[in-house]
Amino acid sequence: MKKTLNINIGNSIIYIEEDAYEMLTAYLSEVKQYFARNADNYEIVTDIENRIAEMCAEILETQQKQVIGIFDVQTIIRQMGSVSDFESSEAEALGDRPEGQQGTAYGHPYRTVRRLYRDTDQAMIAGVCAGLAHYLELDVRWVRLIALLTVFIAGSGILAYVILWIMIPRASTKTEKMTMRGVEANLKGFADSYLDPFMAESKGFLAGFFQVIGEFLNGTGRVIFKTAAVFIIVIASICLIGLFVMLFVLMGIWDADVANYFPFNIINEEYFNPLAISTFVVGAIPLLALILFSARVAFSSREVNKTLSFILLIIWLAGLAPLIVYITRISSEFKEGAEYAQTAELKNYPEYVLTVDRTRFFSREDSLSYSIDAEHYRGKRILADIDDEFKAPRNVSLWIEKSGNGKTLLVQNFRSRGKTFQAALKNVQAIRYDYQQTDSLVNFNPMVQLSKDSRWRGQEVTLTLKVPVGTMISLSWELQRYMSGNIYWDCENNPAHDGYTQLIMTEEGVRCLHERKPGNEE
Amino acid sequence: MIAENTQTQMRKGILEYCVLLIISRGQIYASDIIAELKSARLLVVEGTLYPLLTRLKNNGLLSYNWVESSSGPPRKYYILTEEGRQILGQLDATWQELSYAIETSKTKKS
Repeated sequence: MKKTLNINIGNSIIYIEEDAYEMLTAYLSEVKQYFARNADNYEIVTDIENRIAEMCAEILETQQKQVIGIFDVQTIIRQMGSVSDFESSEAEALGDRPEGQQGTAYGHPYRTVRRLYRDTDQAMIAGVCAGLAHYLELDVRWVRLIALLTVFIAGSGILAYVILWIMIPRASTKTEKMTMRGVEANLKGFADSYLDPFMAESKGFLAGFFQVIGEFLNGTGRVIFKTAAVFIIVIASICLIGLFVMLFVLMGIWDADVANYFPFNIINEEYFNPLAISTFVVGAIPLLALILFSARVAFSSREVNKTLSFILLIIWLAGLAPLIVYITRISSEFKEGAEYAQTAELKNYPEYVLTVDRTRFFSREDSLSYSIDAEHYRGKRILADIDDEFKAPRNVSLWIEKSGNGKTLLVQNFRSRGKTFQAALKNVQAIRYDYQQTDSLVNFNPMVQLSKDSRWRGQEVTLTLKVPVGTMISLSWELQRYMSGNIYWDCENNPAHDGYTQLIMTEEGVRCLHERKPGNEE
Repeated sequence: MIAENTQTQMRKGILEYCVLLIISRGQIYASDIIAELKSARLLVVEGTLYPLLTRLKNNGLLSYNWVESSSGPPRKYYILTEEGRQILGQLDATWQELSYAIETSKTKKS
């Protein structure tokens, strides 16, 4: 099977095989070159072209053929005569130029222009190096060596190779192969090219491999591509549905209390709905665009309407603007800080056990909001599920210090941020923090609670426990997990008090009761 | 080399004369001229004829008519002009002289 072309020569339409066409083109260009200096060149070439057209028509008719093949072109050229034949018989007839100048008319071929093509016939991978070698008139081995060396310069050679692979066209036709080599695309070139062993295909093993890969990617690759596109559509659609659900949840359609959970309680209540909508818009439109684009890839459907994409862009920007405004406003509410301290005296004991109590402490207000009736509540406890809740940043820290006056004191420092100092102070007052002392057992709440409907503004509590020298303190494992502060991870746990770290207050400060022996790490 | 050169020169002059002779017999198509020249063993390749015809035409010795062809494009049919006829007469005379010269040269030598 051969590719055929449809050419117009001498005002007739001729079907011709590709290689035959190339040969004929080469012949005609040679003829044109030869007659180029002749004043009547146009007329002569037209006559020759007409005659060639006639010969083609004769061949097709007499041989009952459809297409002119390379053999027919060879016959035509033999009959018409090559340029060298013209030279011998026409040398003087061409004009009155002296003999010496005659040679320049054809004898010296004008400088041929090499063009850069990929030489897939001598390729190792895709023929980039071989093509460059032809272009630069170097031995292909040097080019390959240089290419291999550049691979070691951070792999830049690989990138360059891929880029050149994409950019440089393949020399597929005989004419292109000859221009690549700087061989003139004339009949002599043709004749030589049939003799040149390198013109014949001599593919390296790798080149064959890459060709197979290329064919594979063309077929199977398309399938993989489409599958990937469908996959993206599915994922993006799920995300889009998720966004819808989130929007409904945030707008309090399903759960009115969502605004009081951690990441959402940052947002001012009056900003909540507009912010939810604009976040939705900003998130949903790129997803929608992704779905449309993937659909186009997967099903090769029509391109997305320009007006539609423009409208989507406008809506997206319209959603982005309030998002930025609200985020800026909310961030500005973290500008100023306020703090106040509260000191309480604890009953003196020679030993304290400090732990955290996950029991939620309810105010009267909370009881109402959670519909907990104090009467029926009785001895039941509600535990805050710290692990599963949206994790607010740790906001309670405990520091143990030496008491100067022999008394046991607990200093609570409440801090918060706000737009102004007053606002920050108001936010501090929203902190509800509790601890309970039962004899020597002190229960701390591991989390700061905020009064209902107040916003999270970085509220935190720093507890400073001041104990007299000689007081023993046991820290529970849970306390160390949920609170920060000067907690002693490197103390040896007393096997008798499992899960507790025992500390003692000395003149120099707090110390482990049992220092961990070096090399006894757990 | 010298032989080749002389041969070429001789052929060239005679080729022109023969072409004019063929055309003088009546209007004729280029490929028919070629066919006749080939049968006369004077022409090897067709490509040589076209520049020659064009040159003769531009020198006013020939003219041509376009004639519709049953197959393919219209064809150029060449005819001799009056000037061509005169020149042909001169060439005839020259040929007679040359022929005489050659004959005499040959016979005298042998």
